[in-house]
Amino acid sequence: MAEVESISHSGICVHDLKEAEEFYCNVLGARVHSRVNFKTQDALRGRSIHTTLTLDDYVFAVMLTEDWMEVPDAGQLRGANRTRHSFCVPKARFPKVLEMLEAVEVPFEGPVMHPEHGPFGESVYFRDPTGNFLEVLWRRDEDVVYSTVQPLGHGGGG
Amino acid sequence: MNTALGSSNGSAVHGISHLVIEVADAERAARFYADTLGVDGAALGDWPEANELALALPSGQMLVFKSGGTGDSQNESGIHQAYGCTPEARSAIEASLAGTGIAVHRYHEDRPAEARDPFYFTDPDGNRVQLVTAPGNQRGISGIDHAAIQASDMEWEEAFFVDRLGFAVDHRVGWNTEDYVRARAWAEGRDDMAPGTRRMDRRYRDNPGAEPGSSREVPRPNIQLFLSLGGSVLGIFLATSHVQEPAPELARGTPRTALAMDRAGLESMASALDAAGVALEGPVVHDKGAPLEVSLYFRDPCGNFFELCVPADARG
Repeated sequence: MAEVESISHSGICVHDLKEAEEFYCNVLGARVHSRVNFKTQDALRGRSIHTTLTLDDYVFAVMLTEDWMEVPDAGQLRGANRTRHSFCVPKARFPKVLEMLEAVEVPFEGPVMHPEHGPFGESVYFRDPTGNFLEVLWRRDEDVVYSTVQPLGHGGGG
Repeated sequence: MNTALGSSNGSAVHGISHLVIEVADAERAARFYADTLGVDGAALGDWPEANELALALPSGQMLVFKSGGTGDSQNESGIHQAYGCTPEARSAIEASLAGTGIAVHRYHEDRPAEARDPFYFTDPDGNRVQLVTAPGNQRGISGIDHAAIQASDMEWEEAFFVDRLGFAVDHRVGWNTEDYVRARAWAEGRDDMAPGTRRMDRRYRDNPGAEPGSSREVPRPNIQLFLSLGGSVLGIFLATSHVQEPAPELARGTPRTALAMDRAGLESMASALDAAGVALEGPVVHDKGAPLEVSLYFRDPCGNFFELCVPADARG
């Protein structure tokens, strides 16, 4: 067993890096950590083109694709298309997320109530400007401590 | 971000005042621009810089030649100067160029504002010149439309010019998939693009442990940022190779992009630059009779020389 402890980061492929940065920062509250391939040294090394973002303790990269991806019809707001990133908020803040999505005119589906015996409470589904499927939800188990966050430094272990 | 310094400094710039271009011989360059591009070839008197020769353009801007250039004009970079002229004037210029054996290129454009009717050539000193059609009735070039420099760090440049100094972004290249799809057409010989706008990247060239020569080569757009400078535009292209920067203590040098402002704007910009820790030379008050009243010299984060200046006609 590899005994992994958590997800380190993920990548979201996008068709427009600036548009993606603005969406994830202005709608979800992410912050730009760093960008790759905007320096001579990155070009000489042939690195990928991406921006690393942080969202609270979560790190993810919006990766510019160098070819067009298949994107489901814009009318579909809930789906996976291989992956769906789902972000968690406290139950008390969930109504604010709905208000915010309305305010910035991001089409969404929901809120959708999940079964009471499961860990999820309510979800709202929407997409980023490229068409990646996203979800924000609150969890019924939000007060449960499954594990403590380990200090980083050598890959996440304590 | 820009909040500490205010975002209004960029709007105080009226446009490009003058460009200082390095040439082997300023008088010879002035003759070429007079004979071929229809510029008034009479040097402006009392130009404040030694070894520089300034020509007046009908727009009120100036084209300045600095003698002693090495001829190292970085031909594969995106560096160029663009001038406006009428379609009729451009036809006349094209005829003059044909007489000198200088080739005209119809490179395609990334920036939509330049997409119509592209026209490029290289002057005898190796400087790439672009002509952009503009209204007017001059027989030659009427003024400076835009200039392009290169930089080793586009994030530094954007943080400096946009976030700190308050210039507006006109256009970006290299941020979306469409640019990369289009770069493949260039690599396949189906899209004739200007030097500096495209590049071949060898993917992960320096990855430890990789078999030498095993990395894949891919065509890409070169990153470009275009900024609005009052009535002018400044293009910044990512340098695709390392270039020796001038000594750090130099705030004043060539090639140089000079931006026109009024006195209050210059003082405000000087404060913003000083607060940002940028090394400044000036404000230098020029002699009465010079075309400029006062200048402030500095470098951008990647070593490009800039000048902020108040035209003498604003003296008062």
